[in-house]
Amino acid sequence: MDRNEVIIRVGGAAGEGVQSAGLIIAKVFSRNGLHTLTYNYYQSIIRGGQSWYQIRASKNPVKSQGDDLDILIALNRDALERHTNPRINEGGASPLKGIAIYDSSIGNFDRHEGIKYCEIPLSQIAQKYSKNTLLKNTVAIGAVFGHLAMDFEILAGVIRDQFGGKGQIAELNVDAARDGYNYFAEKYGKADKVLNTSKTRYYLISGGESAGLGAVRNGLKAYFGYPMTPASSIIHYLASHSKSFDVFVKITEDEISAITMAIGANYTGIRAMTGSSGGGFALMTEAVGMAAEMEIPIVIYEAQRAGPSTGLPTKTEQGDLLQVIGASQGDFPKAVFSPRNVKETYYMAGEALNIAEKYQMPVFLMVDLYLAEHYETVDGFDLESDIERGEFAKGDEKDYRRYEFTADGISMRALPGTKNLMHNEDSDEHDEKGDVVSDAVTDPEIRNRIMEKRMRKMETYMKELTPTPTYRMDDAEYAVILWGSTQGVVEEAVDILRNKGIKAGAIEVNKPFPVNPDIKNLVKGKKKVIFVENNYTGQLRRIISSEIQVTGTLVRKYDGECFYPGALASELEKAIKE
Amino acid sequence: MAITMADYKGTVKADWCPGCGNYAQLTAIPMALSQLGISPDNAVIVSGIGCSSNMPEYMRAYGFHGIHGRSLPAAQAIKWANKDLTVVAYGGDGDGFNEGTQHFYHCARRNSDITYIVSDNQIFGLTTGQASPTSRIGMKTKTTPDGNIEPPINPLSMALSAGATFVAREFSGDVRHMQETIKKGIQHKGFAFIDVFSPCVTYNKDNTYDFFRERVYRLEDEKHDTTDLIAAFKKAGEWGDRIPTGILYQREAATISDVDPTLKENLIRSPIKKLVPEDIEEFL
Repeated sequence: MDRNEVIIRVGGAAGEGVQSAGLIIAKVFSRNGLHTLTYNYYQSIIRGGQSWYQIRASKNPVKSQGDDLDILIALNRDALERHTNPRINEGGASPLKGIAIYDSSIGNFDRHEGIKYCEIPLSQIAQKYSKNTLLKNTVAIGAVFGHLAMDFEILAGVIRDQFGGKGQIAELNVDAARDGYNYFAEKYGKADKVLNTSKTRYYLISGGESAGLGAVRNGLKAYFGYPMTPASSIIHYLASHSKSFDVFVKITEDEISAITMAIGANYTGIRAMTGSSGGGFALMTEAVGMAAEMEIPIVIYEAQRAGPSTGLPTKTEQGDLLQVIGASQGDFPKAVFSPRNVKETYYMAGEALNIAEKYQMPVFLMVDLYLAEHYETVDGFDLESDIERGEFAKGDEKDYRRYEFTADGISMRALPGTKNLMHNEDSDEHDEKGDVVSDAVTDPEIRNRIMEKRMRKMETYMKELTPTPTYRMDDAEYAVILWGSTQGVVEEAVDILRNKGIKAGAIEVNKPFPVNPDIKNLVKGKKKVIFVENNYTGQLRRIISSEIQVTGTLVRKYDGECFYPGALASELEKAIKE
Repeated sequence: MAITMADYKGTVKADWCPGCGNYAQLTAIPMALSQLGISPDNAVIVSGIGCSSNMPEYMRAYGFHGIHGRSLPAAQAIKWANKDLTVVAYGGDGDGFNEGTQHFYHCARRNSDITYIVSDNQIFGLTTGQASPTSRIGMKTKTTPDGNIEPPINPLSMALSAGATFVAREFSGDVRHMQETIKKGIQHKGFAFIDVFSPCVTYNKDNTYDFFRERVYRLEDEKHDTTDLIAAFKKAGEWGDRIPTGILYQREAATISDVDPTLKENLIRSPIKKLVPEDIEEFL
């Protein structure tokens, strides 16, 4: 551990408790004042297969799941052999170069050099306390912290929280963990270097939870959805907090219903959201245009996974950008957000609700499986809301016109129930009052004017578009353009290049549509522009090159796994030298 | 001031074909709403796409004219969000029983507190005459030149099997009777479904006013027990020389708004959640 950080991986089959063990470890770190980030590698299977959970922790900010693996907890033989094999390449994850912790009952296995094999009678110790085989995971977790010589009481606290307080089961687990802690420390000794812990506690939260929390902060009142990985983390969070947040959560018969309900709820004046992954979002497509035509606000949380079709349901990708931008027929104003990390997801969820309501248009909050499901530490959240809603008619307006042709394109809403302002909101083309112009007499002039009115909202919105964030761009010679969740890994790759004397910097697109023209200035004079995308065709590059004629080399990954900093740095270096 | 039908009179003239069954509903719905003393500013008419779905354009109320088949999801959410509103969904058989089928079924099982009136003319009118999900076997249309070979669905038995708590049928040839049933439907706590035989005078030469006039009878004239589900199923299946109209089935049941704790208070008025540090403690 010469890097002042530690990377731990728990490997096993689905159903063996990989994820819950990983989360306990992560929480112990976050409660020790360590920056922590997790990554969950799993398949669409309830029992069996091979999954693993990686946790990286450090006194310094950690921005990705990292490269070097220091400690492995192998819950079965397959996991032990797989993660110690130097030829391992599970989408870029590194093999173990440190300590392997495993049960003595595992039997014979292939051994590799450079690994310290720390066999522990995990099952035997666990059986002292319970017949539940999952208890051996707790013993292994104890062993990890015995090795790291971290305060056992913090681990005990996390275990008690995990197992619901100070009941018998919780105490059995604490005792089992203590045995593991002591066994490892006595038999194999402590780590040479200890992590620099502190009394600070960080929040450990996933992107999906953060999106839900951020939306509630800015007045979310209803969420409609249909189960689909990786869009489920937000709905699980909101459903389990429905009562305390006073948020109505409904699982609908399909995604068409989910979005239409959300639009209906927004029509009444409350803030409602829907969400899905690409397949479910495909079903929502028609209603996106309906909201735009009727000028009803709608925020859609779109959590990408590897497509096409069912694709890789538990794997990450940034392959839905063109789908989202192109969703629904005709031209209409819209905004697409792609938060770069868990904390930004919190604020952008609230901002999405504001922009959707102010401009009465669809706003997409795009994340991917990596961002939606990984946990990372956040130092704090601003809990104060910053709600902006736009104007509402009260009932005493003379000559109210729902779709008045205003200079900024934004017309005052009148909510149902408002005295005297009855009107029709129509998916058919209509005039200022909402009367349809598509049926008896088509009116080309009115059609032009209302199209122009709606599209003016886009021009107005462009004026408040926030600048594209950057990283180490001031003296950069090479510009790396990323969007969304790849922020952390790209920044780490940039740092690696900088340490080698290569002056790289990153342009971090968190609002991919409408394209911010400031990107044109940011790349001015750079020796090379490189796009980093977790997809095959470089979807952001296609949009940016068509909108503002900025293009560059594409570094891509489409195996369903996220980027890893070391490998990405090598690819960037290659692209720079080409 | 008492609400009258004139309060619901829109400024846009309906452009359905002369003699279209929809005109009867355009009279019956405002009559029912006004007689119940519901003000047009508290009434929302939600529709999909089709001839009949143009209804919100012709009424003075809050109108939500959405997309084909999707009136019910919008209507339900509007009611859940603001239960002070009276929500009436209106549309055709194509809209409701093709693309809208699963919404119909799930809306019934949820017992969402809205009224759903279907203008059932057994044909697609707005798209100029194609077989619909309620077209009879053998009906010749543009898409079934040799006669329809698919048996029609039965909206009434479908509603009953989905658990609908108010199931009725009406006929555009009897506005007064229809208006009374619509009133009862609006007053009913929960999902009220009214299937209306509404002749398409242009494209359906089979199911005409005369066709129905010769066959329909009123259930209340016979000893039909509206609380008897089996009897309701039997009546729903009655077709041929005699076709029943009126209320087939009605029962009291909790609506989603009664059961879901977050809907106890009106969502539109319930205070916005103010986050406090305790709300994020679980992440520590």
